[in-house]
Amino acid sequence: MSSQTANFKGGVHPLEGKELTSGKELRIAPLFDKYVVPIRQSIGAPPTLTVKKGDVVKKGQRIAEPGGFVSVPLHSPACGTVGDVVEIIGVTGAPEQAVEILSDGTDEWDTSLAPIPNWADTEKEILKKRILDAGIVGMGGAAFPTHVKLSPPPEKNIDTLIINGAECEPFLTADHRLMLDRTEEVLTGVAIAAKILKADRVFIGVEDNKMDAVEKLSAAAGKYRIRVVPLHVKYPQGAEKQLIYALTRRQVLEGGLPMDVGCVVMNTGTAAAVHDAVVLGHPLIERITTVTGTPVVDPANYLARIGTPIARLLELSSGVKENPAKVIMGGPMMGFAQSNTDIPIMKNSSGVLLMAPDEVEQFEGNPCIRCSRCVKACPMNLLVPTLSVMVEAEEFEMAEQNYVMDCVECGTCAYICPAKRPLVQHFRRAKGEILARRRKK
Amino acid sequence: MDTIILSIVVVAVTGMVLGICIAVAAKKFAVELDPRIDDVAGMLPGANCGGCGFAGCSDLAKNIVEGNAPANKCPVCTPEAVARIAKYLGQKVEESEKKVAVVLCSGTLSHSKMGAKYNGVLDCRSAVQLNGGAKDCRFGCIGFGSCARACKFGAIEVIDGLAVVHPEICVGCGQCAEVCPRKLIKLVPASAPVHIYCNSLEKPALRMKKCTGSCIACRKCVKAEPDKFNVQGFMVRVVYTNPPDESVIEKAQCPRKCLLTPEQHLQAVRDGVKKKEGAA
Amino acid sequence: MSLNEWLVITVGAILVNNMVLARILGICPFLGVSKKLSTALGMSGALIFVMTIASFVAAVLYNCLLKVKISIPALGLEHVDIGFTKLLLFIVVIAALVQIVEIVMQKFSPPLYAALGIYLPLITTNCCVLGAAELNAKGDRGILASTVFGFCSGVGFAIAVILFASLRERLAISKIPRPFQGAAIALITAGILAMAFMGFSGLVK
Repeated sequence: MSSQTANFKGGVHPLEGKELTSGKELRIAPLFDKYVVPIRQSIGAPPTLTVKKGDVVKKGQRIAEPGGFVSVPLHSPACGTVGDVVEIIGVTGAPEQAVEILSDGTDEWDTSLAPIPNWADTEKEILKKRILDAGIVGMGGAAFPTHVKLSPPPEKNIDTLIINGAECEPFLTADHRLMLDRTEEVLTGVAIAAKILKADRVFIGVEDNKMDAVEKLSAAAGKYRIRVVPLHVKYPQGAEKQLIYALTRRQVLEGGLPMDVGCVVMNTGTAAAVHDAVVLGHPLIERITTVTGTPVVDPANYLARIGTPIARLLELSSGVKENPAKVIMGGPMMGFAQSNTDIPIMKNSSGVLLMAPDEVEQFEGNPCIRCSRCVKACPMNLLVPTLSVMVEAEEFEMAEQNYVMDCVECGTCAYICPAKRPLVQHFRRAKGEILARRRKK
Repeated sequence: MDTIILSIVVVAVTGMVLGICIAVAAKKFAVELDPRIDDVAGMLPGANCGGCGFAGCSDLAKNIVEGNAPANKCPVCTPEAVARIAKYLGQKVEESEKKVAVVLCSGTLSHSKMGAKYNGVLDCRSAVQLNGGAKDCRFGCIGFGSCARACKFGAIEVIDGLAVVHPEICVGCGQCAEVCPRKLIKLVPASAPVHIYCNSLEKPALRMKKCTGSCIACRKCVKAEPDKFNVQGFMVRVVYTNPPDESVIEKAQCPRKCLLTPEQHLQAVRDGVKKKEGAA
Repeated sequence: MSLNEWLVITVGAILVNNMVLARILGICPFLGVSKKLSTALGMSGALIFVMTIASFVAAVLYNCLLKVKISIPALGLEHVDIGFTKLLLFIVVIAALVQIVEIVMQKFSPPLYAALGIYLPLITTNCCVLGAAELNAKGDRGILASTVFGFCSGVGFAIAVILFASLRERLAISKIPRPFQGAAIALITAGILAMAFMGFSGLVK
């Protein structure tokens, strides 16, 4: 354990693979003629579409209204006309509704959201309303609406805002490039969020394999009273509860939320989106996505619009050298394998990873050999072997008593398991069944 | 002699005293309990299958007596038994028809296109976490038999990667429909003779690529018996409140062979296996 | 009685001559309620309660009525021994007692009844309750010693059934070969547990 850098117990050190893209400058994806925008892009109620086929829309114009408090509006990624509402296979494999936007070649912003350059003197309710109107959700992966995160109940005393720049998933460098290429925007976004929360302390946690980003952020962070903290390189350093522990030594208890210990955790990408929404008046219609993997000819990070099919981005990277064995949305640890490349980029798509046939092992899960490597590695201190046999025996009640609900599905256990047991799949199933049972009651 | 008489007297007196004690206690410390609960529990099947959603038959009986559940809540009960319960409680119930489960899918391994390799847990409810197994169709049967394991009566068999209900064994408790993550097991009236064995909502052109057994919404069956089929988007379903009879199979000449009676469906699935074995 | 004798009664009843694992009494509830730890705890509580009371009542009956030779001069009876009706009387008295306890408990302590009630009918004349009464009579113990013995036997049952329930919870999540599933593996486990308890034998006579 390194003495200088913040850390947590457990975790693993997978192959990083970040060198494929980390040194390359951010590229801006050109305007494509068609975008497929999934309607449901956040946790909570799906928004309701307010445009119909043939409507003319501008870039950044609202095309769907939020369906509840935990829900955000949706905006058109380009100027043009609205096409069909189609059914696509979503990232998780479940069917999803999506709306097509056919670009007309022009690229003009819709001006309904006015810039707020003097945000420091603006009331926090107006800023929160803007964040909602811009459709901002957590861009690290969970896609939790940001305005909800920034509205903690009054009885929770939030004193710490933590910005997650750890990017512990191997291969992904989207946040790294963002912190290097859009440093000022990230810091402004952080400052806006800190103002809304009235947080005393603001940390940006960055894994110390990105020291260039740490230095650049530190150099500019002084005037915002933000501390940039290098973190020990380890997976899952960027998991919410692990990050809070590493930076503040506070532990989120079983079933608790970060706000129970006075913390709010936000991704760097979300911070940059907050800046765009407030200072520029631009809704969230584009994000930085890593396109990487050994089969990709020219892997890089792209500033791509929401709704860009991943096939388009692969073309920009000059295609593939060999037929990939796996296409993964997200990182190798928590991402989802895809069956096609028509999947569009969503607000929480941090990367597209291709894996060569020799990198993908086909295996069958074997019985547990009780080596307990998973117990040592689990960042949530769960009794992984016992839990997994409980799920296999369908004893969900027992698994619940043994805290399966605390599993963060980081994949550390499955990564380290020498018997190649499908542990995360077991726990996901158990969590699903237990939630279904609780809803029934 | 004295010993015998005395022992008889002692045992008898003890028994009598205790009997009186119990009687007094039962009277004095009586707790009101509805005797009808036991009677109704006796009229229920007693399999404790949980199909009603309550914790076993006696719990259902308690809820029926207390008016929290209708007398026909038990899906396994014969109509006569339901009528008996209703009569006993002085209630009126609507006629409840015997129902059976049916898996509305033709997607055996021989029919389905497999677009992915699946290495995960062999359980449907686990598989839906990972794209739902290897079959391309996102609406059809996954075929890992979660329903067969949930069935307390052994009425479901997985043949060639497709779950098939044996209607003669099925009691219609609905446990299989409950666990099916794809929600393609439906409870239908046992008297309905034919079903359309496809549950896909996709465009017919896509379905055709993914499964050679799928319904392609050609609507031949609808043309043959317009009131007896229901078209929603691209899904054609039998109207179970007014089901067509077997002759519709002749009339419609379903080009995909997915409008079948349960027996024909089972036979078709078994023939598929035989064909595959023959080819191998 | 000396401290030594009390120790012999308590340790003997709890460990050495454990009701379930050494004397093989009360196997029905031992197997029946040991599927889950929570039910095992409920059953243990109910059994300790019933055994203590039943041993007390049976000891009173034994010491006042059965042990002594009855003489009623008015009826011309002299030194009549009705000790042979012991078993008969114990069954009747214990069964009735449990019934009364159940009725009273249902009335006055519904929470206790909810916790123990469903187990009470199961142990009305369970063989280990009757066994405790019988063993007290056989050992010719006094009323206090009998009550303590009854209580300790209950504790012994509790230890056995709680250990066994914990094992069975582990069995429920283990992969067991088909022919051994269910009662078979439970009985094998019980046998091994009983063998382990044999290690205590010889601790007291």
